[in-house]
Amino acid sequence: MGKRLLVVEDDESEGLYYKLALEREGYTVDVVDNADDALAYVKENPPDAVVLDINMPGKDGIEALGEIMAVNPELPVVINTAYSAYKDNFMTWSAVAYVVKSSDISELKEVLAKVLRG
Amino acid sequence: MDRAVAMVLAGGQGERLYPLTKDRAKPAVPFGGVYRIIDFTLSNCLNSGLRRIYVLTQYRSVSLHRHVLLAWNMFNYELGEYINLVPPQRRLGELWYRGTADAIYQNVYLLQQERPEYVVVLSGDHVYKMDYGPMLKFHMEREADLTISCVEVPRKESKRFGVVEVGADGRVVGFREKPSDPKPLFGCPDRSLVSMGIYIFTTSKLVEVLAEDVRTGSEHDFGRNIVPLMVAQDRAYAYMFSGYWRDIGTVDSYHEANMELVEPEPTFGLWDEEWPVRTYRPQLPPARVAGTVVDSLLSEGCVVEGGRVVRSVLSPGVHVHRGAEVVESVLFEGVEVGPEAHVHRAVVDKEVNVPPGDVMGVDPERDRRRFKVTEDGVVVVPRGMVLR
Repeated sequence: MGKRLLVVEDDESEGLYYKLALEREGYTVDVVDNADDALAYVKENPPDAVVLDINMPGKDGIEALGEIMAVNPELPVVINTAYSAYKDNFMTWSAVAYVVKSSDISELKEVLAKVLRG
Repeated sequence: MDRAVAMVLAGGQGERLYPLTKDRAKPAVPFGGVYRIIDFTLSNCLNSGLRRIYVLTQYRSVSLHRHVLLAWNMFNYELGEYINLVPPQRRLGELWYRGTADAIYQNVYLLQQERPEYVVVLSGDHVYKMDYGPMLKFHMEREADLTISCVEVPRKESKRFGVVEVGADGRVVGFREKPSDPKPLFGCPDRSLVSMGIYIFTTSKLVEVLAEDVRTGSEHDFGRNIVPLMVAQDRAYAYMFSGYWRDIGTVDSYHEANMELVEPEPTFGLWDEEWPVRTYRPQLPPARVAGTVVDSLLSEGCVVEGGRVVRSVLSPGVHVHRGAEVVESVLFEGVEVGPEAHVHRAVVDKEVNVPPGDVMGVDPERDRRRFKVTEDGVVVVPRGMVLR
């Protein structure tokens, strides 16, 4: 069975896009659309990696990252955001990687492959 | 100094100082009569011009918070100066600090807000006088990622510390925390170079390493994890410090450091006009002496009605009655020593009345049945203990 990914993405169509594209890579993918559900998911059923959006209504991805790290510090979290400005925020530095969203998701695929290779 | 912030680690439990740390964090333990241990580090910051300070607290912090607010409420926020007390915020989870490095990591948002170029990591439980300015200059000149302040100690004592091995250019080439077989100094077989637990980090590198460390199962400790890692992979330098420095780890080292203040020519002077040590001073009348006081520190509000006080440190409001004898002892605020009582080599915490004729510090057997007695034979009377 493929590695399990949790994608945290508030935009429904983007979430679906990531799910389809990453499933094509052989991953098993679940999508949640907010930080609280992501945290509950990670606590109950830790995936092999998390792909985390930052700008979301309610709790943002930076806060979610801190909470995920507190529950499971060894779980690799890849930040996936449309904005490069958060790169400068120390709070994002505990993510294993920072990917700036684009319509071409080959960078995200490469990063995930690298992270999950271990 | 404008480019740096200080983070003072003041959260240690201080188990080896028990029972002095029963009700207070180690940095809040009284020292030298009128001071608390943390006053020395904070005075160093003030005198060095390092005036952006975070004090990271944790256990039993009420007394520490009160003291810092009373004594140190003098920084001007409008001029960009502050001293902020930071108890655990639990921003990154439910846990208390898991180690010294975790204490900084969990407060990384402070560094995010402030964006200093350098972070000076200090310990709230050291007694010393040090200008951090030259150390920061040293760090900047070498474009170091980490600078460790180091001091020479006899090799047999170095096992308690992180032992540093330095190359010819001052670069740290080896670091071992509490090694069983410490490396001697080059050309000096009975001395070793140890870390004082005082570090300057270039901020971005510090955050990078902390973020890396948090993903591992390490103890998240500077001495055990972060420093060895950075010595192996980054630019780490040793800054040599040669003045007086004491890590107040145990009741014995606490007692000894107090005794060093009452030597006829103290190794550690509190009388340096260039380097004043600040603290909170209560409004009390001058000390009144009718007995004999020799080689001692006598704080305001003390009354020595009679008897003898020799090589001792008396905090404010201590009352020594007629015929009493206090020798090589440290008496905390408001302690009463009754008539004809003998207090030898003891540390007596607040709110203790030594009854008339009571004797401590003379018969170890008897003392051990009543009190904690240290390896070196110092009697410790905890706060509020009722003696008959």
